[in-house]
Amino acid sequence: MSDWLGMSASRQAPRPELKARVLERAFAVRTGAPWWGLAAAAALPLALAGAGLLWRHATRLERGLAATRDTLNLVRNPGTRVIPIPVVVGARTGELTIFADTISHRWLVACHNLAPNAPGQAYQLWFVTERGMRVAAVMPMDHDVPMVMAIDMPSDAGKVMGVAMSVEARAGSALPKGPMLFHVDL
Amino acid sequence: MIQPRRLSQEDERSLLSRLQARQESALAELYDHLAPWILGLAERILGDADEAEDVLSDVFVQVWARIHQHDARRGPLVPWVLSIARNRALDLLRRRRRWWRKIDRVAAANKAAGADAVDAAGADEAGVPGWPVHRAVHQALGALPVEQRDVVLLAYFEGLSHAEIAERTRLPLGTVKTRLRLGHKKLEESLRDLKDWLR
Repeated sequence: MSDWLGMSASRQAPRPELKARVLERAFAVRTGAPWWGLAAAAALPLALAGAGLLWRHATRLERGLAATRDTLNLVRNPGTRVIPIPVVVGARTGELTIFADTISHRWLVACHNLAPNAPGQAYQLWFVTERGMRVAAVMPMDHDVPMVMAIDMPSDAGKVMGVAMSVEARAGSALPKGPMLFHVDL
Repeated sequence: MIQPRRLSQEDERSLLSRLQARQESALAELYDHLAPWILGLAERILGDADEAEDVLSDVFVQVWARIHQHDARRGPLVPWVLSIARNRALDLLRRRRRWWRKIDRVAAANKAAGADAVDAAGADEAGVPGWPVHRAVHQALGALPVEQRDVVLLAYFEGLSHAEIAERTRLPLGTVKTRLRLGHKKLEESLRDLKDWLR
């Protein structure tokens, strides 16, 4: 009964142009894809993006795991030489530890408690070789956090006789120009 | 006297079967029959011509998409479409969080119109489709005591719950329920013939 009450309202003549618009919209819904089709279409890019993210994440984890295995092998290797070097910057004393693998000719360098660099500067590590100073790594340090990195020893500079660290411009330098923090013979 | 055109039972069955057969011309025909009434109902509820047009459009989208859900054994087509229109208009009223503003506007408009629901039928409109139904519902509402008619209209056109009507009219909840029950009973009796006519 109450459904008829709607008929008590005064009728309002629709604008003539409204009919075509209303019907067109109604028929468009009929010919459109079903809701689950639209949902699936909308979900597909999300699913692909999610799969891509997962794949990237998995790849990153694999690389991290491989790097960790590599590091452990290097540290456990009986032929690896451990070289602790104190680094004094102002009133602060940090430490740099080099795990030098003489078989694979790689170094693992761990830094602890190094003072953050001044703006525009970076620490730069040098190989001291028979043929002079060679760049080992540029290490910008903005925050007081430990840092570990693997470095390949130079193959074209003869014997590596020592290691040094200086403070250089942030982009690094081909030759030491800034203050030298240490110079250690191996 | 102009004989009113109306959607007869046979016409309606035919229209329904054509709608269910997905004949686009049937929806256009239904629009011709019902669009003015749907628009009037939506505008009455929303108090806004633009929003009423939105409702009209939504109603025909829903009718076309859900026509297979209409069960002719459970009721005629026209009240089914009107109920879709009413629900859609009330949803819009609530969802757009303009509830109280709209209520005030509609209430003011109704007050200014002087009980629009019981106005006499204009002679120039007597020939339009659905007009006999409109007149019958008006007469049924007009025959209600004003206190019953008020609560029936608040429930139908503003979608108010019993408690909300009680708050609005500052009547005890029990009184509101009694008036609604009596009003609906009288309407049912008054519109019985109408229901029979369409069934």
